[in-house]
Amino acid sequence: MTTVSDRLSRLASIREWIPAALAAVGVWLRRTGTVAQILTLVALVGVFAIGTKGKYLSPANIQTILSLAAIPAILAIGLHLTVVLGGIDLSVQGVASLVAIFVGLLMKNQYNSNDVGLWIIPISLGIGGVAGVINGVLNTRLRIPSFIATLGMSWVLYGMAVYINRAVNIQILDERIFKAINGMVFGIPNIAILAVIVAIIMQFIQDRTQFGRYLYAIGGDEAVAQQGGVKVEKIKIIVFTIAGIIYGLGAALLACRLGVATSRMGNGLLFPTITAVAVGGVALTGGLGGAKNAALGALIVTSLNDGMVLMHVNPYAQQAVNGVVLIAAVALTLDRKKLGFVK
Amino acid sequence: MNDTSSRASQEPVLALRQITKEFPGVVALDRVDLTIGRNELLGLVGENGAGKSVLMKIMIGLIQPDGGTIKLHGEQITLKNSSDAIRSGIGMVFQEGSLVPNLSVMENLFLCNEAGFRKLGILSLRSMRAAARELLAQIKLHIDVDLPVAEIGPAERQMVEIARLLWLSKLYGHDNPVLIMDEPTTVLADKERETLFSILQDIRNRASIVLISHRLQEIVENCSRIVVLKDGKNVTEMPASESRLLKIEQLMVGHSFSADRFHEDEQRTRGEKEILRVENLGKAGWFQPLSFTVGEGEIVGLIGLVGSGKEEVCKCLAGLERADSGSISLDGKKLPSGSPSGAVRAGIGHIPIDRRSEGLALMMNVADNVNLLVLNRLKAGGLLSPVRERKNAHHWVSECQIKTPSIATLCANLSGGNQQKTVISKWLSSRVRLLILDHPTRGVDVGAKDEIYKLMRRLAKEGIGMLVMCDTLEEDIGLANRMLIMKDGRLVEEIDSSPKKKPDPKDIISLIV
Amino acid sequence: MVAVKNGDQQEARKRLTHRRQIPPVYITVALLVVVGLLFYAGNQNFLTPYNLNTIISFSAILLMVALGQMCTILVGGIDLSVGGLVSFISVAFILLLKPIGYLAYPVCIVAGVLAGYINGIILTRIKIPSFIATLGTGGILTSLAYLVSPRPVNLSPDLYGLVDIVNGSLFKVSNVLVVGLAVLILFYVVLRFTSTGRNIFYIGSNIKMSWMSGINIVKTRNIAFMLSGLGAALVGITISSVRFGGDPVVGTAYVLSSIAAVVVGGTALTGGTGGVINTVFGSVFMSMLDNGMTVVGIDQYLQQAILGVMVIIGVTLTFDREKTPIVK
Repeated sequence: MTTVSDRLSRLASIREWIPAALAAVGVWLRRTGTVAQILTLVALVGVFAIGTKGKYLSPANIQTILSLAAIPAILAIGLHLTVVLGGIDLSVQGVASLVAIFVGLLMKNQYNSNDVGLWIIPISLGIGGVAGVINGVLNTRLRIPSFIATLGMSWVLYGMAVYINRAVNIQILDERIFKAINGMVFGIPNIAILAVIVAIIMQFIQDRTQFGRYLYAIGGDEAVAQQGGVKVEKIKIIVFTIAGIIYGLGAALLACRLGVATSRMGNGLLFPTITAVAVGGVALTGGLGGAKNAALGALIVTSLNDGMVLMHVNPYAQQAVNGVVLIAAVALTLDRKKLGFVK
Repeated sequence: MNDTSSRASQEPVLALRQITKEFPGVVALDRVDLTIGRNELLGLVGENGAGKSVLMKIMIGLIQPDGGTIKLHGEQITLKNSSDAIRSGIGMVFQEGSLVPNLSVMENLFLCNEAGFRKLGILSLRSMRAAARELLAQIKLHIDVDLPVAEIGPAERQMVEIARLLWLSKLYGHDNPVLIMDEPTTVLADKERETLFSILQDIRNRASIVLISHRLQEIVENCSRIVVLKDGKNVTEMPASESRLLKIEQLMVGHSFSADRFHEDEQRTRGEKEILRVENLGKAGWFQPLSFTVGEGEIVGLIGLVGSGKEEVCKCLAGLERADSGSISLDGKKLPSGSPSGAVRAGIGHIPIDRRSEGLALMMNVADNVNLLVLNRLKAGGLLSPVRERKNAHHWVSECQIKTPSIATLCANLSGGNQQKTVISKWLSSRVRLLILDHPTRGVDVGAKDEIYKLMRRLAKEGIGMLVMCDTLEEDIGLANRMLIMKDGRLVEEIDSSPKKKPDPKDIISLIV
Repeated sequence: MVAVKNGDQQEARKRLTHRRQIPPVYITVALLVVVGLLFYAGNQNFLTPYNLNTIISFSAILLMVALGQMCTILVGGIDLSVGGLVSFISVAFILLLKPIGYLAYPVCIVAGVLAGYINGIILTRIKIPSFIATLGTGGILTSLAYLVSPRPVNLSPDLYGLVDIVNGSLFKVSNVLVVGLAVLILFYVVLRFTSTGRNIFYIGSNIKMSWMSGINIVKTRNIAFMLSGLGAALVGITISSVRFGGDPVVGTAYVLSSIAAVVVGGTALTGGTGGVINTVFGSVFMSMLDNGMTVVGIDQYLQQAILGVMVIIGVTLTFDREKTPIVK
């Protein structure tokens, strides 16, 4: 009997070796800020540069990557705030769809005589913000776990978008904005510059304001933070609101860039955004990671997908790869000490 | 302004008078008085359940007293929450630590109070760093203030907390804050302990300190005055110079001793067979290698103060923790380490201290809880048989006299004593050989307590071995055949406790402290 | 603490707080009746035998995936990959009928169970929270569905006989209902009469106690996710049979509706309480809601919003706040 149980316990320890190894990698990843991400990016670029015989590094491709990564980066900066807090925000698709419709209907289009021009920006921010406030209230006052509250909201908002829009494609005919968004400065796409500015501002807020301290305190240990005097409920609502506002910005930019507004615009946004957040090194357990992580993560994911396209990888396989990357990134950055029994 | 010679006649900094606090069914504090004078290091002692933590929580505003007054510098105050307490200059360093692990030392020091470092909404990290370093230098701590708190040791973490409290009270203009230290030395090594106490002596010039500790030695060595609490009441207070360890312990633990409360006439002598054999079981940081046995039908009491290692020993036996060395054998067969299912299969049962969160599935009914361990035995044709399930449940409900309207009642709706009996039935149903009982009568009314004692006697008669940790020394002595005394992680003594030859609690106390 | 005055007082207070919970099933049934009558008032066609048959057929299909979802929710997780799995199986099944005939049934069922097992492993061994893990695997499965068949694929008429299992009828009752009933009985038996099924409830109710009592947490949770995979696979097979074709988008709606059916039926997201009967009523209610809104003429596009609201309300009412002092 002893030999069998000995063998079994040795087997058990091998099976535990996997989470133990992952945990060790996780500790290293969490410590080193963005080093791992930059290394990954360099490695990716290297692999694809060789694989595409240099086409990957052409100025045109680099511009493509930067312009494609900008909006996911902005959305990821919004979403990562809720993850740092220790929760999550799954409502980005719903918010994007609703904002898209408003963008379509309020800017110059072929159906009505609206032409709000640049006013669309504050309007979009407002819509996103209201959605965010509701998310925050659902989470703090009604004590609904953030993943279900935001998931439900996403469905609600999407439903509203489809109701207003009735699955019609609205052409956005505003020339100035279209040119502005798709334009470039010294060869760098405008929206990429905008994304960098947003990242810098957000990172600054996280590093150098009291609000930033509270954000990380709640993510680090909510009970202790509360005891120390942090107004947890208020901060949480603010965070969800900011996330919503940022989604509004990203959605408006996306709609204007595409030139077409549909209620389906939100579809498929959640996945790459969460992947960007995770790959960037923002731990799902909370308390770690900043805007620069989220933006870098978006850059890595976009570079990966762009490389796969250039190398003619089947588009549907690409999504599978993204799925694997998401799971791997989360697995590596989780702080297992915080987990207890995983739900 | 302050005449040190007349320190004794000065207004106490904090005076709690006639503090009373009741919880449903229990009186936690009964007209307790506590005064804290300027620049004094006060020691507060008492066993678990004596009311120390409730009193402290009242002092820092986490709980409101039902009666009594709190006076700060002679003026009555109410502390509605912990922020009020901090603003009044009263702060506590918790045992579990209240620092945010991912924030840096300086961020933790100034959390929520960074306004002083703020210019146009932006924090000046440079001035924060300088202020942090200066603050820590005052308590002779020189570490990198940018390190995340998770990366500094427990001793340094405590000092950071002390520094934070000192700084906060200065911020609110208190020149003699009250600092409460809750069991600070449990996580410290010897040298760190010395450092801590030298710092505390140093801080005495600018603060009053209340030290809560179960290590009476360090209380006597460091404090100027000692207050003893027992059963929610003041027992005594004495200047340290007059205190004897033994006297304190007696005051802490002594109860009136009533004989047949524990049905000693039913105590059986230990049987022939040995059920549990523990050999050189050790766990670094918790307890040193120890060995003992439990025989058939024997009740062994595991006795020691909080921190003696007894709880960890039981956790290792139940498979909840993994020991570093040694072995556990049940009926001659070695147990796998760190596996609750292994322990359960071998025949070890564990009645946890917290039955609501660890003992029962509250939202499921009595029958489901009783049958949890023996589902495989209640099958007919490969599937669970409702008939057998009901039979088993009914059997144990009557065996253990669980008072419930029906076996389909949710466990959440039973009284504490009946919940405890349900937990016991669950294990009995699975034919345990050794039962570990962790404070089995805590939170149980007198009638149910008696029933549980009788149940234990019956189980002993049937040959089941038991390892028990009780709420009071009397309970331990009364129930046990034999007692294992633990102190500071070592098994120091084995004492016989046969009926008619029961040891005196006073003798035991001297061993555990 | 001092001599317990009346130790039962504390418990009595706790007893009262639990008594306020009316078994959620009653609420669902009441909702069913009330909303049903409302729909009838809106449009008499609602209660025609034809329409009722439609509702019941939809309920049977939804029930299969909802029961699996319920298992994962009971063990404290969630399965967001059911949509992708239904889509994938729906196309895989149709494509497999040609080369391997009836073998397509067991192959697809095994594939579903395997997918569930992988979901379980990611949770239990790699310790990734199920909502992220299944989000990931759901994405992978959806992309696999597109990989296998980017466009809807139709079953060639000479193979129609192969799907008679679902399309036929037994004593004038459509086989869809028979299959649904069989799955219902299977889940009921597993959850009520097997150790693993009971363990699912124990884990959902108190995972710490279950671990301390020696219950195999890993195995039980894996099985719960495997059951979810089974349910989704069966739905994929059934839908493809009914429509005589597979479609990579067919599954997406089932994520929301399966969760809604479970939650509205009264099973708490916190796990532990709930059961098969709850989910039956939940599925019927969701199908009735879906059908009724269309019959009465509520804008199709508003329906999804309403479903979202229902989920939020359902969760709010059933969430056990005592279990979770800190809500993330």
